[in-house]
Amino acid sequence: MKDFLKQNGILILIIALLLALITAVMSLLLGGIANPFANLAGVVATPFRNGIHAVVEWTEGLYSDAFEREQMAQELEALRQENAQLRAQAREGEAASRENERLRDLLEFQQKHSWLDKEPATVTARGSSNWASTLTVSKGSASGVEAGNCVIDQYGNLVGVISEVGLNWSTLITVVDVDLEMGALIARTDGAAILEGDFALMGQGRLKLTYLPEGTQLLAGDAILTSGLRSGGTATYPSGLVVGYVEQIRSDDSGMSDYAVLTPAAALDSLEQVFIIKDFEVTE
Amino acid sequence: MTTKDFTVKWLAYALALLPVWLLEAFVLSRYPLFGVKPMLLPLAAIAVATLEGATAGAGFGLAVGMLFDAVSAGTSGGMILALAMLGLGTGLLAQYVLRQNLVGCFLCSVLALFCMDALRIGVRLLLNVAPLEPMLNVALREIGWSLCFVPVIYLLFRWVFYRVPKATVL
Repeated sequence: MKDFLKQNGILILIIALLLALITAVMSLLLGGIANPFANLAGVVATPFRNGIHAVVEWTEGLYSDAFEREQMAQELEALRQENAQLRAQAREGEAASRENERLRDLLEFQQKHSWLDKEPATVTARGSSNWASTLTVSKGSASGVEAGNCVIDQYGNLVGVISEVGLNWSTLITVVDVDLEMGALIARTDGAAILEGDFALMGQGRLKLTYLPEGTQLLAGDAILTSGLRSGGTATYPSGLVVGYVEQIRSDDSGMSDYAVLTPAAALDSLEQVFIIKDFEVTE
Repeated sequence: MTTKDFTVKWLAYALALLPVWLLEAFVLSRYPLFGVKPMLLPLAAIAVATLEGATAGAGFGLAVGMLFDAVSAGTSGGMILALAMLGLGTGLLAQYVLRQNLVGCFLCSVLALFCMDALRIGVRLLLNVAPLEPMLNVALREIGWSLCFVPVIYLLFRWVFYRVPKATVL
């Protein structure tokens, strides 16, 4: 056995150790850019990803057509009613917006605006690990995507942040991943807090809002927005993106402080189309 | 064994690995059961190690680890070493302690998956990323769901094993 290990097994283990070390060092040095081997694997896998994605979409479409028609009709009716209410609110909002514009002119404030350079991309795969929440999208460094870019859905809700970039693919960590931590604003009160992933909540597709401002009373359904600051103070995200809504308030294990459990605004389980924000400018 | 035999044999194993990877990465990852997705690539390495023995198991584990590492986010080389070691360990167990059959493969899979998740939990506990209880919860469901695939994966690689030259020279 000893001779056998000396002759063969140990040699393979030494090769494995060296490869692991090289990969780890490259990942550290490249910081967010996929290492050459991962990049090649990603590029080779792209046709498979796209093909399987198309087949799965087609199959799910058939299933929906066959079994979910009645439910869709009910949802359509509910959406029509909601649309009518939103139109009424939008009319009121337009009047308020014009008034806001006039008041800003009167006080000589700069006009509030935001500009986002968005790159459309398709979600081609979902992470297969139970220890992280990731998605693979169809755009990479060839389209100007960089690690740290944030990703939104078609409604402007935050989906996550690009963590690794290949030539024609990127991996993003979603808002529920344990590695995500960023500044947040409570839309109703303008109070600042911190958004962070939590392992126990990640499995349920939820995240945490911690360091709640003292005296703030959160209500179920309160919208939570990005503040524009990431922990460490670098402005990586545009402000005002909807991250999620308060579902419930809980006390931590010590019972000394409260945190809120949020439901992400983006439908992470069924996302198809996303937009990668490559550059942005927000004037408050 | 000629170079041609050797090449054909490992190409056949690589081809058998392809549907396993596609199933794990692109199909089962979309439809979690009990909130978890199964780990199939490590099971493939264990199946080949059970059938082929320690040396070939370590080599195949290394190759599967490279694939796993290249296509998974956030592993940074760890899986290359882990799967090579699991391949070697499984091969030795199957050759000298257990039997080189489905039962042996199943027992090795149980042990290997527990080792992998114990390592994951240990690292996360050290880094203070998450408390023990929810991680154990995920690990047990993950191992249970993954073990359901052992017979299918073992039979796939056994089918390949009986159709390729037997002696392995590395």
